[in-house]
Amino acid sequence: MAEYLNCPLCGFEFEKLDTLCAHGCPLGGSCNFVRCPSCQYEFLEHQRKVSWLHRLFGREEAQKPRLPEGIVPLRDLKRGEQARVICLGGDNGSRHNTLAVFGLVPEAEITLVQQLPACVVQVGETELAVDPAIAREILVERLA
Amino acid sequence: MNRAQRADDTANPGKVTVLVGNPNVGKSVLFKNLTDRYVTVSNFPGTTVEIVEARASFDGHEVAVIDTPGINDLSQRSDDARVTRELLAKHDDATIIQVADARNLRRALLLTLQLADLKRPTVLVLNMADELEERGGQIDCARLSEILGVPVVMTVAPRNQGTRQLIEALPRAQPPSGSWLAAEPVNEYVGNRARLGQVNDILAETYSMSQPESPSLKVRLGFWAMHPVKGVGFLAVALLAVFWIVGLFGAGTLVDLLETGVFRQQVAPIAIQAVDAVLPFPHTHETESIPLGVSVPLSPVHELGIVTAQREVIVPAYQEPADISLSLRQQVWRFLHDLLVGEFGTITMALSYALAIVLPIVTTFFLVFSILEDSGYFSRMAIMVNRVFRIMGLNGKAVLPMILGLGCDTMATMTTRILETRKERIITTMLLALAIPCSAQLGVLLALMAALSPAGAIFWIGLLVAVIFAVGWLTSRLFPGQTSEFILEVPPMRRPHVKNVVAKTYARLNWYLKEVIPIFVIGTAILFLLERLGFLTVIARVGEPLVTGWLGLPAEITNAFLVGFMRRDFGAVYILDAAIGADPVLSPHQILVAMVTITLFMPCFANFLMIAKEQGVRVAWRMAGFIFPFAFLVGGAVNHLGEWLNT
Ligand SMILES: Nc1nc2c(ncn2[C@@H]2O[C@H](COP(=O)(O)OP(=O)(O)OP(=O)(O)O)[C@@H](O)[C@H]2O)c(=O)[nH]1
Ligand SMILES: [Mg+2]
Ligand SMILES: [Zn+2]
Repeated sequence: MAEYLNCPLCGFEFEKLDTLCAHGCPLGGSCNFVRCPSCQYEFLEHQRKVSWLHRLFGREEAQKPRLPEGIVPLRDLKRGEQARVICLGGDNGSRHNTLAVFGLVPEAEITLVQQLPACVVQVGETELAVDPAIAREILVERLA
Repeated sequence: MNRAQRADDTANPGKVTVLVGNPNVGKSVLFKNLTDRYVTVSNFPGTTVEIVEARASFDGHEVAVIDTPGINDLSQRSDDARVTRELLAKHDDATIIQVADARNLRRALLLTLQLADLKRPTVLVLNMADELEERGGQIDCARLSEILGVPVVMTVAPRNQGTRQLIEALPRAQPPSGSWLAAEPVNEYVGNRARLGQVNDILAETYSMSQPESPSLKVRLGFWAMHPVKGVGFLAVALLAVFWIVGLFGAGTLVDLLETGVFRQQVAPIAIQAVDAVLPFPHTHETESIPLGVSVPLSPVHELGIVTAQREVIVPAYQEPADISLSLRQQVWRFLHDLLVGEFGTITMALSYALAIVLPIVTTFFLVFSILEDSGYFSRMAIMVNRVFRIMGLNGKAVLPMILGLGCDTMATMTTRILETRKERIITTMLLALAIPCSAQLGVLLALMAALSPAGAIFWIGLLVAVIFAVGWLTSRLFPGQTSEFILEVPPMRRPHVKNVVAKTYARLNWYLKEVIPIFVIGTAILFLLERLGFLTVIARVGEPLVTGWLGLPAEITNAFLVGFMRRDFGAVYILDAAIGADPVLSPHQILVAMVTITLFMPCFANFLMIAKEQGVRVAWRMAGFIFPFAFLVGGAVNHLGEWLNT
């Protein structure tokens, strides 16, 4: 059965089929993005709302998209592991840019410094701390 | 100025020189090297928040040098870069000195390519050459200069290395060669990704970095400081050290020494005698034997006594002979005498308070704060507290203004600029004004706490923390807008330079004293006048229902709240006096109520002005309109709760 979606920006109704991930990132069908064929706006299919209570006490939701072999969210890396960034995730252009100016872009190689209390990665000679919520959306490929 | 000289000036491309670069790369140190003007330097990205300009003379040419806030991205939309963009637009003939962290050449070159679009004469400075070497990196400056078409200079700013070469390179400054970005990119992100691709090509030819060996102690300390478990221990040790130095040594040892040993035993008697000599009227001052005990804290309960001295000295209180009536002239003398060295006297009260109590506490606080700031610890602390700050609609970055607030809330209100959204700035400003006691007040409160049971002190701290979270949470719900995402660069741990720590402490103290002393002097004078004119009793009567009824305090304490409107720490001194002074009128329960109420007051008038300046007059009035009633509300609640528990 065909799934229909409504674009939150222009209200255009369209079929879900081939509109997934237009980044051209190697995730292909497992990327969470949908792009509206009418206005080209990209959005997440399901936008989760997280209350502060949830953020504070709630268990981190096990959000398991169908990821190809070897690709994991940044959040799943272990201390000291090296990885290559695949996709910055999220539909937040200004966040992408903020990460980019620190050198965190697709193709960049990173080393994980720690996960808690905030995720810290080393990109080049920069140590960058990001909120766990962001780290969950960044996808990386482990390097041997 | 004659014509020949003016022609020379316009021909000289270096009339205005702007230092631009990523945050925390040493622009401000370099600025000091070039102009001899000190601006705050610290190991924290985002130290400089305003443009600073100073004149310098390079080989006989007058040049205006401008220091700017650090930026990562010059593109149109980013807000931090607005100041710098506007500045560069205003000075369209400016030479750009781009300062780079040599280790982090990738990020610097991204900025270089953005700056290249402006086609301004540029010099690229690779600062922190020492850290590059330590880390085992190498940069081919000649090749880099060839590719970019601009002079490249290596420097180590704190050691003043390379400054000479930089000045010599300035006349050779040229707009970067070539066009780096042909087509107009769709958005900033796409543009920056394209630039990063080009940067990687340049790096491949010029930059090499060895694999990191086993981490040094400094690096390891940096890891521990943000480790989920060790980091908490680190935080505890840091807080304990601060308490030790500021709370025990500053507020204890130094205050004893200055307040008793210097002011009450030496300065006040001399001042009283001098005033008596100049403004004679018949009276005799009382004498008192003042004991002095100065000791160095070894642990919170052990001290090492170093000086004890007892001196018999004259005090402000005096007796007048009963049978003589004063002439008009003598009455004027008496009035001035009381204004200067009376019980509310400018010298005996305002100056002794500002210089002998506040100064040592604030000095030790700023000293410790500067050391922590230069070590790079605060960014790691931001990581540690990020989670809990979320409750208040803030992210970890807000920790810096909050801690600085323990030194001076007004200064901290200005520092809220480092926060990204208006919502975060408002919440932080609000919490600073409401519940973060500044070091002057903290000192007085520490003394007050001595009169309380430990349980009372713990209750007070717990209540403050609860108020901070509750009000923060409430404000974050009520105020529309977004909390910014937590993305923070963590600077490397560095050993603080003594020179910089001293310079920074001095600059902050200077600012603080200039602000505090006039307010104290004027405040005491106003109070003195009110008392002389009999207004204090009137005010005490008006405030009675609130103070005696609701708060359950003696009517005199109204004065404390009255001056508390001007400076809350000043109000706290009154309470201290009423609590442990010559004739104590407060019970421990009342001390607690008064303490809670005064702590929640707005810090001082200057703070109000600063809020008005940073956030607008409307916001300032609204905050004041919330804070003062709220302070009385909570104070009264504590009073009634205490009474209810007692019965
Ligand atoms: N080892 C080393 N440290 C340096 C050098 N230059 C600056 N620093 C340190 O780097 C830190 C940042 O220096 P600042 O001058 O405040 O940096 P800034 O570029 O003005 O920073 P913002 O104003 O935040 O943009 C300070 O702790 C300096 O002591 C250098 O050449 N070598
Ligand atoms: Mg600076
Ligand atoms: Zn006298």
